[in-house]
Amino acid sequence: MSTLASRLPFRGRVPLRGRSVPLPSGMSAIIVKELRGRMRGRRAFVVVTIHVLLLALFAWMLQRINEEQIRNLSAFGGQTTYAGASVGRGIFLGLLMLQTLMVSVLAPAATAGAISSEREHQTLDLLAVTPISSFAIVLGKLFSALAWVFVLILASIPVTALVFVYGGVAPDDVVRGYLVLFATVIGLGSIGIFFSALTRRTGASTGLTFVITLVLTIGTFFLWVYFSTTGEVSATGARRQPSEAVLYLNPFVAQADVLCGTEDGAFGGTCGLISSILNTPQTDIFPPDGVPVEPVPAPGVGIGGGIRIDPSDTTGVPFVGKGGVAVGGLDDANADEAVSADSFRDRFWPKSVLSFLALSIVLTLASVQYVTPTRRLRPSLPGLVRRLARKRSAS
Amino acid sequence: MTAIVEARGLVKRYPGTLAVSGVDLEVPEGEIFGLVGPNGAGKTTMLRMLATLLLPTSGDALIAGESVTRNPQAVRRVLGYMPDSFGVYDDMKVWEYLDFFGRCYGLGPARRKRMIDDLLELVDLAAKRDAYVQSLSRGMQQRLCLAHALVHDPQVLLLDEPASGLDPRARVELRELLRELRTLGKTILISSHILPELEELCTSVAIVDRGRVLAAGTIAEIGQKLRVGEVLRVRVLGDAEALDAARAWFEGQPDVASATLDSGLIEIGFRGDEAGAAQLLAAAIASRIRVASYSPAATDLQELFLQVTDRDEATMGAPVV
Repeated sequence: MSTLASRLPFRGRVPLRGRSVPLPSGMSAIIVKELRGRMRGRRAFVVVTIHVLLLALFAWMLQRINEEQIRNLSAFGGQTTYAGASVGRGIFLGLLMLQTLMVSVLAPAATAGAISSEREHQTLDLLAVTPISSFAIVLGKLFSALAWVFVLILASIPVTALVFVYGGVAPDDVVRGYLVLFATVIGLGSIGIFFSALTRRTGASTGLTFVITLVLTIGTFFLWVYFSTTGEVSATGARRQPSEAVLYLNPFVAQADVLCGTEDGAFGGTCGLISSILNTPQTDIFPPDGVPVEPVPAPGVGIGGGIRIDPSDTTGVPFVGKGGVAVGGLDDANADEAVSADSFRDRFWPKSVLSFLALSIVLTLASVQYVTPTRRLRPSLPGLVRRLARKRSAS
Repeated sequence: MTAIVEARGLVKRYPGTLAVSGVDLEVPEGEIFGLVGPNGAGKTTMLRMLATLLLPTSGDALIAGESVTRNPQAVRRVLGYMPDSFGVYDDMKVWEYLDFFGRCYGLGPARRKRMIDDLLELVDLAAKRDAYVQSLSRGMQQRLCLAHALVHDPQVLLLDEPASGLDPRARVELRELLRELRTLGKTILISSHILPELEELCTSVAIVDRGRVLAAGTIAEIGQKLRVGEVLRVRVLGDAEALDAARAWFEGQPDVASATLDSGLIEIGFRGDEAGAAQLLAAAIASRIRVASYSPAATDLQELFLQVTDRDEATMGAPVV
């Protein structure tokens, strides 16, 4: 070994003395390291393939269910015109909700151990003495953990795109759905990062993360139902409704709003839900010329679609406008506007996406605090919660 | 030589305990400096504060002129740290481990590649380049961890109990490695509770107990400062009578605290310095004492440690439990 002294060529000081390593290189260091581990070998490829195959199988089953329902309806004399659109929407509904459920489990699971496992492996100190900033550590951890979920979501796009074969769902609806999915992943993923930065043990972090995820998905909805059904009744007879903000961080409600955009927007299905959440009447479709269109419940409502026929229409040929809304008796030129489904679009999900991103920013900054070894601010879990967390990780 | 590590009144207080209470420390450049003390003496806390991993309750430390509290990022650039219980990542190869830390220091690809080759050679792991980190033996992992602390060619190395859990062979290898690093101009701060290990390795030590530095300097300096005195062993030729006369002569000399006869050797408790010892020898020869050998008995670090901590206990009262 002694001859080596003269051979060591890595002389010269590290560049940029006295400053952190720039954020992008810091993040890329973490991301490269994490992905090397995660994407090694055949595992990642196999998992993605199985994921897509299962999703395709699920989509096929949804298609069969929807087709059979339409067929049964037609056997009883129901409306089967534009049944394809109905089937398309049915598949879209199923796929979007399934994927939302999936990422609600995968995103927190992927991140809940990201930082606490470094503590458990006693590697966080090794990282903390490098000039990489805590911000780069947290962001790098967040994105490398979520990269895997992003890959699964991206791989599902071709399967989701199959709904275009049936119609009823426009490409921009798919884009909306995926925007909500990505925001959900980032939002719920930051919850996992936050708890993994806060707690010492991955077990405690995972537990707390899933409790919060359950509260956001099921808890908020239950709260909303409770307050909306038990709210005070005012002099006009209307019940006081809870604020819609209760549900901003509920990814399923956001997706329901996206699905509403594919419906005729007037009644039933997910639009009914969104309208009652937003506390707006469901049946306020007015064409620009002021002639109210009387909506009539149509077949397929229960399965997330609806084809509406204008009763005054004598041609018997409904017009399917944007969002799959069928309106009769209007000429082509203003049919699109007359549908006015656009006024029922994008009422909720953009707020939801923004809320998820805001949550993510707040939690990321909080996590940076907990990762910084020499932070001056040391807020910690209230004693009770911490004791519980410790007990859980011990057992 | 200038001090490259300089601690000024470092205090770390935890609720209910004072882990480090007002430590002043100066480590000159190029030293291998040992922090000696029993478990729980505050060695790790001190090193963690120097490594910018722990904010001192009060006080500050400068490493290569940069403050650990005010400019930790600058300190991190000149510092390599190897913790007591180091972790290794699962699912990572040896070269990837070093590559990762190279990236953390913002090294470019060409520099990283060269650094990995050199460091693996230095710590003798070149053959394990593509092995998974968790498959290495503990000694190898320890060497890899040491290599990781060197990726950015730091001026100062902080090593917390680097030899714990190593077999004798691995220990010898580690010692060789540290000597090698010293010749490269690195200043090394090393903590240990295994004294013989440090004694062979360190150029100076600080004896730490209950969060305080009780004594610091070279082993001889500490001995002198504490007036522990040196022990001179003299072998004198002649019969028992001559030996006893010689003993009596030595006892009568200035700076000699005691002179005892022990199985043919005269042991002299000597308070003077080296020059005084030389003078004593000259005087003995002038007095026709047939001196066959004359050497200071090396002061044992272990002995020194016991004396220092004993003295501390006597002045401080019983240890607080």
